[in-house]
Amino acid sequence: MNTLSGLFLEAAGKFSSRTAVIEGGLSVTYGELARSALGFASYLYSRGVRKGDRVAIFLPNSIEFVTAVFGVSLSGAVSVPVNSSFKTDEVGFYLQHSGAMLLVTGDELINTAEEASSGRGIKVVSMRGEKASWKFPGNHPEGAVAADVGPGDEAIYLYSTGSTGKPKRVARTHYNLSALADNHTETVGWTEDDRVLFVVPISHTYGFGNFISAVKSGAAVVVSGEFNRNGVLDLLEKERITAFPSVPVMLDVLSKTYTDGPKDLSSLKLVISAGAPLQERTFFKFHERFSVYPRQLYGSTETGVISINLSGDDEIAERFNSVGRPVKNVSVKVFGEDGRESDAGESGELAVRSPSMAAGYYGLPEETARVFRDGFYFTGDLGMIDEAGYIYINGRKKLLINVGGFKVDPGEVENLLSQHPDIAEAAVLGVTDGLGNERVKAVIVARRPMDVKDVHGFCMERIAEYKVPSLVEFRRELPRSPTGKILREQLK
Amino acid sequence: MSDAIKSRVKKVLAGNFLKDIDFRELGDGAPLIDYGVGVDSVSRLEFLVALEEEFGVRLDEGEIPPDFFETVDSISDYISRRVP
Repeated sequence: MNTLSGLFLEAAGKFSSRTAVIEGGLSVTYGELARSALGFASYLYSRGVRKGDRVAIFLPNSIEFVTAVFGVSLSGAVSVPVNSSFKTDEVGFYLQHSGAMLLVTGDELINTAEEASSGRGIKVVSMRGEKASWKFPGNHPEGAVAADVGPGDEAIYLYSTGSTGKPKRVARTHYNLSALADNHTETVGWTEDDRVLFVVPISHTYGFGNFISAVKSGAAVVVSGEFNRNGVLDLLEKERITAFPSVPVMLDVLSKTYTDGPKDLSSLKLVISAGAPLQERTFFKFHERFSVYPRQLYGSTETGVISINLSGDDEIAERFNSVGRPVKNVSVKVFGEDGRESDAGESGELAVRSPSMAAGYYGLPEETARVFRDGFYFTGDLGMIDEAGYIYINGRKKLLINVGGFKVDPGEVENLLSQHPDIAEAAVLGVTDGLGNERVKAVIVARRPMDVKDVHGFCMERIAEYKVPSLVEFRRELPRSPTGKILREQLK
Repeated sequence: MSDAIKSRVKKVLAGNFLKDIDFRELGDGAPLIDYGVGVDSVSRLEFLVALEEEFGVRLDEGEIPPDFFETVDSISDYISRRVP
């Protein structure tokens, strides 16, 4: 059956006694996970959740997150994963915009969850910690069955960072997710013998796509709620990890991390790098240290996984900067500014056709018509495809800042800064640090004297840390064009 | 705490953050947050790795004190207790 719940139950049936999830010292099999997820689905029903309702999941990578995703799916409701680093107003936006009727979280995030839900008529349920009202593994009520959902029903809402100050809702159907898992799994060749480490958030499209693909193949999913260099290296070694979806900055710091002795990462076969360009020095340094080449993957919230570089070890050094060839059943084309399809080697905008792509953005018909057209999603990424079909990305049309793989909308941060009583106006832009990584910079015109700490403190309370400007500069005025547009290039 | 350690910390800062600043003139007690040091997790990790490379010591992000990134003094003080 082409549904997320069908995919999960099929894997649970086929690999019932094999390990499904490992977190810390806890390990559960696919059979145990299925019983818990069905039990959680029954619990959701008892709390009034029905098919088509939206359930927000505000949890870090954890056994509870995995249970919640599949429990919501089995209940017939739509999952709305929310980044666990988000602050109250950010969570509130997701709740409001998605129309969530229930928020699932853990004790450590319960205060933020309750503040964000306050006044919205949304129930908050903790499933992690001492105060949990549903605690893993829960009970498995007799006769608990999955709700009847079809491939065309909505399964999950993911949000795409926009450039207009607010994230855009992207609904993916059960068919979209099932197709994504089929195509990605077959392309990378994962099996039940694989062990995949998730440090990247599963709540994000990149983590989620790899996660459901790993589950489809019956692999063991090892989850960690935070990135700690020595902790990750220990997990890679101890858990005999075979596949590791990551972002370039993780690979960069891991390859340089001081360790007390050598690490045996010989089990590692596939190291995936996505979210930002992989730099040459990181590619070679990681291989030098751990004897495995990182491989770039390309994806988007709108389409899921698009391509991955699986060229052979004899070729990869020549092609490390390619995001590879499209995964199975996905097609990528390049279009020039004149709308004509580009030839091999010619640059233009990358457009994707995929069975896992969304139909558009909720409530944004003009934006949807602009980027979803002729059966393609126009990514806003600029690049080219060579004669061998390898895709190269060399820029982007959108005004986004890429912080360690997380996209930051400058407009969202500017809007926040404009709410500070001492700030007259602000411009936010991306700057590149000494190591080639992008960081958020705010240029501020203050009404009265203020310092950097004031700006950081104000932002830290209201937005996720990765969006907070790490560089702050004060100016008497912002440079503008004759038409009043801020000249951002002059602010770098 | 030796001036040599402070000087090496400033060298690392110069290489990672303070591209437009003459690090030799940076005060040992100057708040580094003004230069974007320690604000986000990416820059914290980059900086820790650079310090590990410079001093050959393990600096675990889960163990360093909350005020570690505040000044050259606070960084140097912690490292001086780690360097053999």
